[in-house]
Amino acid sequence: MMQWRVLLQKEWRDHVRSLKVLWIPLVFVLYGVMQPVMLYYMEDIMKAVGNMPEGFDMGITDVTSVEVMASTVGQFHLIVSLIIVLSFMGIISKERKNRTAALLYVRPISFSSYYFSKWSGATIVALVSTIIGLLASYYYTVILYNEVDAWRIAALIGTYSLWVLFVVTVTVTASALFPTGVAGTLAILLTYFVQLIDSIIGQFWTVSPWKLGTYAVTWLGSKPDSSDFWLSVVVTVIAIIVLMFVGVFGARKNMENIKI
Amino acid sequence: MSQLLQVSALQKNYGQHEVIKNISFELTQGTATALIGPNGAGKTTILSMLAGLLKPTNGQIQFDGIVGDPRAAIGFLPQYPQFNSWLTASEFLIMAARLSGLTAQTAKEESEKMLQFVGLKDAANKKIGTFSGGMKQRLGLAQAIIHKPKLLLLDEPVSALDPAGRLDMMNLMKSLQQEMTILYSTHILNDAEQMTDQLLFLKAGKLVEQGSLQDVKAKYEHRQIVVEFKVVEEAAQFVVKSTLSAEQQGNIVILQTDDMQQVIRELAKETFTIRKVEQQSASLEEIFMKVAKL
Amino acid sequence: MSSLLMMLLPIIIIEFILLIVALIDLVKIPETNGPKWLWAIAIVCVSIIGPIIYFIFGRKQV
Repeated sequence: MMQWRVLLQKEWRDHVRSLKVLWIPLVFVLYGVMQPVMLYYMEDIMKAVGNMPEGFDMGITDVTSVEVMASTVGQFHLIVSLIIVLSFMGIISKERKNRTAALLYVRPISFSSYYFSKWSGATIVALVSTIIGLLASYYYTVILYNEVDAWRIAALIGTYSLWVLFVVTVTVTASALFPTGVAGTLAILLTYFVQLIDSIIGQFWTVSPWKLGTYAVTWLGSKPDSSDFWLSVVVTVIAIIVLMFVGVFGARKNMENIKI
Repeated sequence: MSQLLQVSALQKNYGQHEVIKNISFELTQGTATALIGPNGAGKTTILSMLAGLLKPTNGQIQFDGIVGDPRAAIGFLPQYPQFNSWLTASEFLIMAARLSGLTAQTAKEESEKMLQFVGLKDAANKKIGTFSGGMKQRLGLAQAIIHKPKLLLLDEPVSALDPAGRLDMMNLMKSLQQEMTILYSTHILNDAEQMTDQLLFLKAGKLVEQGSLQDVKAKYEHRQIVVEFKVVEEAAQFVVKSTLSAEQQGNIVILQTDDMQQVIRELAKETFTIRKVEQQSASLEEIFMKVAKL
Repeated sequence: MSSLLMMLLPIIIIEFILLIVALIDLVKIPETNGPKWLWAIAIVCVSIIGPIIYFIFGRKQV
């Protein structure tokens, strides 16, 4: 516990001094806010730009806040995983490559506290940024359109947070197992690519971590099917725990690969 | 004196390649041991195994009187210590101390003491990224000793430093000798000669010779007496007349003996003009060359 | 139109902060992956994406 705290403090200093704690939330807020504003003012913007025929109607003035929020999360979804993977793909592998890990591994540290300090640091940054981004988006949607039930937003954020935890865990574990390039590619494949496949041929099953993004949005309207949703949550939590074990194991096994 | 570490039949393979071949040695508490060998002999590999960074393929590393994780009782300075450049020296040392089990308070106090000891007090709150190579080496030493380890492992601690830095580092190491057992590697024999109770000669992953500095010297030393004549002709004459095995190099004659009395007696028989008579003992460098040829 | 500006203002401010922070960091950092001037151009010319790409790939820090 003490080692985890000391190592987490190092992680935190890293994230502060590499400015991750600043730019990641800012970018997430930006992507959370842009969509509602753009949708709302699309017509005004078009007019301002000119070239629009008189009486042209984009047909978007009657968009509901739920639809706006849904399309925002869709946009958000595209950028969030990518930024998380790219920002944290080297979180463990980079330390092996630049050999700073040697001075940690010669101390009596446990690899679980090492892995979890990495995981915790990345999770705090990713999760807080996600929540701030979604809240900003909610705020804009409410002032520009109309009220959305707070519990629906809470459910959306909760569900989406689990997806973010999944992406963080995939990334940190990949970094524990492989060099940075391989880790990044693998994490992109396991998030984007599998999700793409899931969205193309995934109608045959309903339980999967890659459906969490869709389920998160469903909270805004009809609510997701209860058993499908909760099973997906359980499967995701199990996947995260398994990935953590693999990550701790990988970090320990790769200790030999530091060239000193 | 009691024994601190016993290494027996240590072996390390990378695939088919045997990097360390069946090495055994002991370290006695409170001694300094120099691990000598050319680059690529396996010095770093041995130190890494002792430090717990590499797992031996075969053999045992046994610490006497150390319970629990041996890493808590070991300090390690890699040849090129790498630090997170965005941490300050003081932040890094406190972290290192805490990871070795010191309390927050002790870690803070010790880090201040260590920075003072290695002469980095003024740079305590500077980012390590701004440090010179010599400063990083000192910080590396500080992190290796901050938790008062019983065994201090130093990989080529001075070879990357300039002469002044080298002297500083040697002095720091000497001052630590009373407190901890030291094992350090080097390929510079002069450095080894300055501070060592035991020598381990490593060549291509094998331990080719070991023993105290005196023992090794006594074993390999081929004592010679060098006589310098004023003129070459006299030197040539002496080589012919001498009963000793002699070799002429211009106006210098090298005699393979350590019997100064006899040399002087023989020289006294003639009326040579002699500039210098000198007994030469082999340097560690020469011994090393001999050992390396074994 | 003024309400549009009010709404767009936070977006513009965030974009601006990203730009400025990236530029300050670029000046302060000892080394980048690739030439600094190229990153300066990327940060200034490509809004939002420029600073993001710089933070992810440009910073070179051990």
